[in-house]
Amino acid sequence: MLELMDLTKTFKHTEAVKNVNMFIEKGEIVGLLGPNGAGKSTAISMLSSLVEPTSGDVRFRNKSMIKNPQSLREVLGLVPQEIALYEDLTALENLKFFGRIYGLKGQQLQNKIEEVLDQIGLYERRKEVVKTFSGGMKRRLNIGVAMLHNPEIMIMDEPTVGIDPQSRNYILETVKRLNEEKQMTVIYTSHYMEEVEFLCDRIYIMDKGNLIASGTKDEIKQILSSENSISIKADRWNDEFIKRLQDIPTIQRMKVEEKEITIVVPKDLNMFAAVAKIADESKLELRSIDIKAPTLEDVFLHLTGRALRD
Amino acid sequence: MILQIVKKQALILLRNRMELLLLFGLPIILITILSSALSTWMESGEIEINLKVALIEQNNEEDEINQFISEFENSGIPPEAVEKMKETASVIAPVTLIKDAFRSAEVNEMVELVRIDPSEKEAALDDDSYSAVIEIPENFTYDTLKSVMLNEQNKAEMKIYQNEEQEIGANIINQLLSVIQEQLTFGTFLAENGIDPNVTGVEDSEMPGAAAIVDTKESVSSKGYYTIGMAVMNVLFMATAIGSISFKEKTSHVFDRIVLANMSRWIYFIGVLLTGMLFALVQLMIVFGFAWIAFDVDWPSVGSFILVTLAISLAVGGLAVLLTALSYRVNSEMIISFFSSIIVTFMAVLGGSFFPIGESSSVIAFLGNLTPNGAGMSAYLALLRGDGLLDISQYIIYIFLFALVAIIIGELSFPKKGVS
Repeated sequence: MLELMDLTKTFKHTEAVKNVNMFIEKGEIVGLLGPNGAGKSTAISMLSSLVEPTSGDVRFRNKSMIKNPQSLREVLGLVPQEIALYEDLTALENLKFFGRIYGLKGQQLQNKIEEVLDQIGLYERRKEVVKTFSGGMKRRLNIGVAMLHNPEIMIMDEPTVGIDPQSRNYILETVKRLNEEKQMTVIYTSHYMEEVEFLCDRIYIMDKGNLIASGTKDEIKQILSSENSISIKADRWNDEFIKRLQDIPTIQRMKVEEKEITIVVPKDLNMFAAVAKIADESKLELRSIDIKAPTLEDVFLHLTGRALRD
Repeated sequence: MILQIVKKQALILLRNRMELLLLFGLPIILITILSSALSTWMESGEIEINLKVALIEQNNEEDEINQFISEFENSGIPPEAVEKMKETASVIAPVTLIKDAFRSAEVNEMVELVRIDPSEKEAALDDDSYSAVIEIPENFTYDTLKSVMLNEQNKAEMKIYQNEEQEIGANIINQLLSVIQEQLTFGTFLAENGIDPNVTGVEDSEMPGAAAIVDTKESVSSKGYYTIGMAVMNVLFMATAIGSISFKEKTSHVFDRIVLANMSRWIYFIGVLLTGMLFALVQLMIVFGFAWIAFDVDWPSVGSFILVTLAISLAVGGLAVLLTALSYRVNSEMIISFFSSIIVTFMAVLGGSFFPIGESSSVIAFLGNLTPNGAGMSAYLALLRGDGLLDISQYIIYIFLFALVAIIIGELSFPKKGVS
């Protein structure tokens, strides 16, 4: 339905997006993963016809959208990363304005606004000025505005940035429901792995302007089929233990957190005895050693050598 | 769709109370301060003069004339010559000449001549309400007649006591008395040569050709001047306010949503134009309404006033479009801030909002009229002075053209593809 073909965007001397190819089928939720500065938002802006690519093409129903994007815009709902609302207007006034510019009017507009307010849980607060809303309420209204004209495709650019867990869950459930009940196609960018794992059927991973992996969740995780991720937990670490772990050549990657160290090693290598021995010799009391199923976070670490939120 | 944009912009502006206070309150405050503070300077060409002059006659003029004539009759001169002397003396009568001069319509409006008794001389000299005290000494008329008719030099001199605290008023009295002195000399010359004073005047009907009526225009008070000056200056801030609201739509990515709704840039521009125009119109009407109520600044031709106001409002709308487009082009509000803080001030000075700078040079006057506020100000001032629509049509046409050019430049400079 929607394709990005060799899409490139260069800003002066910086290539923000390099020869990216994607396809999105009707009714699926596609995740676009990547750290800050990976090129996700630029790719999204080109996809939604807001930024013209330096080269490449965006095709919707087999037609190029570069010069004449009107047909794509009609079916597109955009939830930008920023709160794209009039903060001095009420929720109702915002919805009325955006509904009208999308051509809704009269009873149809009224009904749609009430439906959206119910979906985003802001009906009771509809007459309040947006600038008095919490971050989560603004995010929900940001999504609500994009839903007004019943878009076939919803592009959501990090819609849960900076909000409380309750609002975040509300938004994720709303997106899931829209996809299931209205077969809405969703393109969802985030650097929260758990959101993408919860929502998405397929995933694209971007880093430094490049598309570095794509596929279903299982296909992506297969990238780590030859490796094991081992979690070591303790109340505190000492320098000797960490140094001796770093000296083991079979450990491919290692991530040290406050109470957990994650090491990635070849799948057939049994590391339990070696880790226990080093802990004993370093006079460190361990709480547990577990083999973890690979997560998308692990995949990202494997592909880029850095954590997603770095 | 245009109506939605106007409504939305209006709601945003109306909810920004500080901005509203500045846009609508500041010009009113400035008009009040400037028109009061600078009224004397502005109206220096027509200072209202109210002078009081005391006149002390130590002797009766008629008695002295009679004394002069009596001495003349007793000197054995032929009766014909005596008769001629009598006529000349009645024409010369110097104190009457002074009194008549002060009683003339032009002088009487400015100077009140108070005759006081010689015994009140000291009190008059101490009274600061008098700009000058004129004392006619004894034998002044008698000596003057002798001097001018018999060429005798023992002439008594009139004394003028000037009030040093009323320097301007005293100078005026001095100048007035100099004129009287010239008239006296001229009258003596005519009398001595037997010329009828009336034949020196030339009747209008004796002049060949048609009489032309010189156009006398109403003067503009400082309150009127600063009402116009502050109105046309502050209305420019409306363009920056609307431009600023529009640019925030870009920074908050609301404009992305507008683009995705397939709204044409012309619809958007017209929305910005109409919002700027509408609020400029409201601002001007409030400012002029205030001036009408508080300062009696009213317009001889309401229709022409409305036309000029509409033209200026359109120019403000055009400026709002231009500022919006330029800020989108450079992706910064800097251009709006620069216009608001520097350009508006420059345009206000050049246009004559603070003082009539155009009077100092025709080049500056020309340049001032190239600014929309300057052209608007010239049109408004002309209307206040009583000019008609035809006299100000050049300004109105120029302001309309300015608005059109601003819109076209705005369209050309607006980013053609995308905004993110």
